[in-house]
Amino acid sequence: MSEYLSKAAAFAQNAAKLSKKVSEGIVENAREFGLEATSSGHYFDTSEEKMRDIKRQLDSRHDREKMDGLKRLIAMISKGRDVSEFFPDVVKNVASQNLEIRKLVYIYLLRYAEQEPDLALLSINTFQRDLTDQNQLIRAMALRVMSGIRVPVISPIVLLAIKKCMTDLSAYVRKTAAHAIPKCYSLDPSQKDALVDVITTLLNDNSPFTIGSVITAFNEVCPDRLDLIHLHYRKLCRMLIDADEWGQIAIMGLLLRYARTQFLNPNPDNNRVSQKKKSKAFYSDEDSDDSDNSLDNSYALDPDHEQLLRDSLPLLQSRNSAVVLSVAKIFYHLAPTADAYKISKPLIRLLHSHREIQYVVLANIATMATQRPYLFEPHLQQFFVRSTDAVFIRNLKMEIMTLVATESNITGILRELQVYPNKDFATSAIRAIGRCAIGMPDMAESCLNGLMKLLWSKNDAVVAESVVVIKRLLQLRPKDNADMIIQLAKALDHITVPMARASIFWLVGQYSQNLEKVAPDILRKAAKTFTAEADVVKLQIINLGAKLLSLHSTDHTLNLLFQYVLNLARYDLNYDIRDRARLLRGLILINEKKDTHMNNMGVEGVEEVMRSEESSKSTILMNNLKRILLCEKEAPSEESPSVGRDRFIIGSMSLVLNYSVPGYKSLPDWPTKKPDGSVRDNLDDTWNRNQYIKGFGSDSFGQFVPSSTYDKLPVKQRNETYDSENFYDFYESSDDNKNHDEKTEESSEAETSEEE
Amino acid sequence: MIDSLFVLNATGKIIIEKHWRGLINRQLVEYFNDQFSKQSSPEDLLPIIPTPKYQLVHVYRSGLTFLSPVSNEVDALLVLEFLHRIVDILAEYFGELAELSIRDNFDIVYQLLEEMMDYGYPLTTEPNALKEMIVPPNIINKVISQVAGVTSVVQHVPNGSTISSFPWRKAGVKYTNNEIYFDVVEEIDAIVDSNGAIVSSEIHGLIQANCRLSGMPDLTLNFVNPRVLDDYSFHPCVRYNKFENERVLSFVPPDGHFKLMSYRVNLPHHQSLPLYVKPQIHIGNGGGKFDISISIRNTDGKPVENVLLVFPLAKSVSNVNATCNLGSYIFDPVTKSIRWNLGKIELKDRTPMLSGNFSSTEQTPESGHTITIDFLINMHAISGLKVDSLKIYNEAYKPYKGVRSMTKAGKFQIRT
Repeated sequence: MSEYLSKAAAFAQNAAKLSKKVSEGIVENAREFGLEATSSGHYFDTSEEKMRDIKRQLDSRHDREKMDGLKRLIAMISKGRDVSEFFPDVVKNVASQNLEIRKLVYIYLLRYAEQEPDLALLSINTFQRDLTDQNQLIRAMALRVMSGIRVPVISPIVLLAIKKCMTDLSAYVRKTAAHAIPKCYSLDPSQKDALVDVITTLLNDNSPFTIGSVITAFNEVCPDRLDLIHLHYRKLCRMLIDADEWGQIAIMGLLLRYARTQFLNPNPDNNRVSQKKKSKAFYSDEDSDDSDNSLDNSYALDPDHEQLLRDSLPLLQSRNSAVVLSVAKIFYHLAPTADAYKISKPLIRLLHSHREIQYVVLANIATMATQRPYLFEPHLQQFFVRSTDAVFIRNLKMEIMTLVATESNITGILRELQVYPNKDFATSAIRAIGRCAIGMPDMAESCLNGLMKLLWSKNDAVVAESVVVIKRLLQLRPKDNADMIIQLAKALDHITVPMARASIFWLVGQYSQNLEKVAPDILRKAAKTFTAEADVVKLQIINLGAKLLSLHSTDHTLNLLFQYVLNLARYDLNYDIRDRARLLRGLILINEKKDTHMNNMGVEGVEEVMRSEESSKSTILMNNLKRILLCEKEAPSEESPSVGRDRFIIGSMSLVLNYSVPGYKSLPDWPTKKPDGSVRDNLDDTWNRNQYIKGFGSDSFGQFVPSSTYDKLPVKQRNETYDSENFYDFYESSDDNKNHDEKTEESSEAETSEEE
Repeated sequence: MIDSLFVLNATGKIIIEKHWRGLINRQLVEYFNDQFSKQSSPEDLLPIIPTPKYQLVHVYRSGLTFLSPVSNEVDALLVLEFLHRIVDILAEYFGELAELSIRDNFDIVYQLLEEMMDYGYPLTTEPNALKEMIVPPNIINKVISQVAGVTSVVQHVPNGSTISSFPWRKAGVKYTNNEIYFDVVEEIDAIVDSNGAIVSSEIHGLIQANCRLSGMPDLTLNFVNPRVLDDYSFHPCVRYNKFENERVLSFVPPDGHFKLMSYRVNLPHHQSLPLYVKPQIHIGNGGGKFDISISIRNTDGKPVENVLLVFPLAKSVSNVNATCNLGSYIFDPVTKSIRWNLGKIELKDRTPMLSGNFSSTEQTPESGHTITIDFLINMHAISGLKVDSLKIYNEAYKPYKGVRSMTKAGKFQIRT
């Protein structure tokens, strides 16, 4: 078959070559052969003659020719070639009777309209005619494409079209109208007021199909007009479950902001310790969790506030990870802390998803864990690293492990982390062990012991990283680290990584008071190898010498040893080392005349001048030498990489990247005084439960149709009742009882609010 | 919101580009390719790369990169989920996702992108609704277009009047044979210590349905033991609250293939995994010895099929010499790993073993690599989840129903 294809392709090419010589008719035939055999590959042919051919094809009377030409143009676009020169020829076809052709024309039009605004206007008439088409899909498509033409002049026409379509009988067309609003706004921001009016009208729409797009438009055009939401708040909560996935995300984003401005903080006493205890109690009897009671007993929430939490909860079972994370966002930022645990399991479930989604979810979990580690502590095992995990995933996992570490699980975590140094991600695991140890001083001992073992690893990187982490840990407990430092010093003989060696020398110098016997010997050994060391190590050896001498300024041997090191350093290639040597020499040896005599004349001349000027100060320096060199150094605090992420809203792009992406709006603070809740009472509008089209997932839909109802119906009647148009009507009648109940509930609510 | 989409092939060349909010220069892709080539493996590149003007969000699947520059704040997962959805839809339209299938059907790809997203906001993403508007390529279409000759293009005008009240289901579906199949596929993710102790294990299950039912059937699926489910997510067609209250799946299904439900089960501690791998590795002077045996437990009497064990060795390993009593092994000198292909293990078979030695150019080769194993057990669901019955309402016909279950290895890893 492929052989045949290639032969046919070759034939087609030959035919194309012939076309220069022979008449049009023959070419037609030749292409006919070619077309039948080859696939779309030939559309990507960009030779000049083909390009010239496109123009002819577009002008052809035959749909198939036009189709071919258009496909070729779109293939050119894919290849990155500018084919805007064909604009006039393409626009002519916008009125084609054939829908397939029109669709391709639209694709081209949307791509190049910006560059050819005048010619693009030619197409507007066709769209306006299509807006009155019988077929709702054609109407919607016309509006979508017209509003997508990025030519500012047409914005009034687009606005008119939106206004026409927002009252369309078809929910799909209304949805498209809502989508067109942000487009119109970006074309001409001065239309904002008119567009806000449109949004206000569309907010009354009771179709779950449309509402998501309306809210999307709201979020883009007038996100601050939360006053428009009051009347629709309860409806939005109730419709949440029936909206499409993407709409749910937009609605939850809006309701989060709304709730933050309209309700009081559910966790008024923000004492984290007490929260922690409270929620731990939750885990102990997790099996018997009755989800709804917990909402009530923790804190008296506004009923509307509670409704939002209750109505968003089922969406944790959505297949769409973005929806699940949006619910998590609502619960993390809005719910009483005792309820927030409900989000952890579904978030863990998302970790089984694609790599990229895992990454974002883990970043969010890490952020939540910095504030509320107890949420994820029961799921610790889910964060164990697999050898196949990508780099960014394993780093986040290890970070989360260190964040959720507690006294009870730390041994498990350490055991797990200590498996990792055999793998290729050793260094980050060692750093994670360090973070654990810093976070939990009780466990520092076992962490250190584990790390000490790694000093004898064959992997240089492992050794280097462990020494650096050990250094950090030892700094935290300056009192009893002598034994450890001696062990480290023993390891000096086989440790070759400069950073590790430098760290050890620094430690010895800093804590030499505790190492009376060993420290001078270490300096002696270091002096022997000085010339072969790396620059960082040399600097630390000089420092070590200076520190030792400041402690024992009278020790003659030490003095000589230090001078030997300084002399070596004086002729070092690196000027940093030369500078350091000079500085320390000036600081420590300045008063020793022997020294000046021994020195060569060149450098010494300068020194002498300085000395005579500052000889009075030098005694002060001398006296305070210890304090200068051996001052208490603050231990570096190891920050987890996610620090700073918690200033962003859960789920946002800014959180993942840890910087504010343009357009990011931080969450408003809770109001201090309770805003008036009665603004949400929707009295005049009778949209309520009766008129609102019951969606598929809503409570009433599922609950009020006992399956037995189906069976009782005679077959004939069944077919009549259940055609798709009337599908919902049946249930509404059976809902009446429930609605009564709810109404009385609502009126009692209204009464209570009046009393207040 | 999502500004644009570029589809790049394995070499970083653009094969599809679509802009929803004005043009974005192609140079951006070159920057991305630079970053891409810096990584040792394409999977290690951060999914969201910051640049001064755009955030580059991308997913990498089947060797293709779907790259979306995003200029403004938006939920990160919304972008990623949408990109994955595009990939899923393309795969469903073209059977398999590959550079060739996309290039062959680029006009359909552009039409799909046009319908799926409007000005950077997702519009129609339900496969059923999309297929109503854009006909997937198939043999019949091609033949018709050939037969019709050069002069006309077959026009597919979607019948707008019958748009379904369920966004996920086509209206007016008709089949002569009504049938519905469910596949329960469970994957075991486990980490096992070198001494056989389970470090972590869990089961991820998926109920995949293939629905070929006429009209608007309303189905109710019962489980024998829904209690085993620890956490679950549903296709939007499932009534959440009904499951919450009665533990039954009640839904009006989409037409064709769809994922009805996915769930997670924590294996109880006393339950053992279907098979155990016992590795014994001794590193010696300039090489080492290894001894790997596999024992089967808890498969409900079913054979284990498609067993493939991958045992990576240190990079310095130069030569491997081994014997096995089942299947065959090869040593891949590029990845330095042993691939032991066992095929099918029957319960009555002797314990499969692979033993041998390797030599290394290093004095003491690195150890501690992770063995991964792949397997499949047909007609067995390790979680024990069982479908009890399927009832159909709202339609008079009696459909043919079928349920199949299968257990697979997910990320099944054994530390050594």
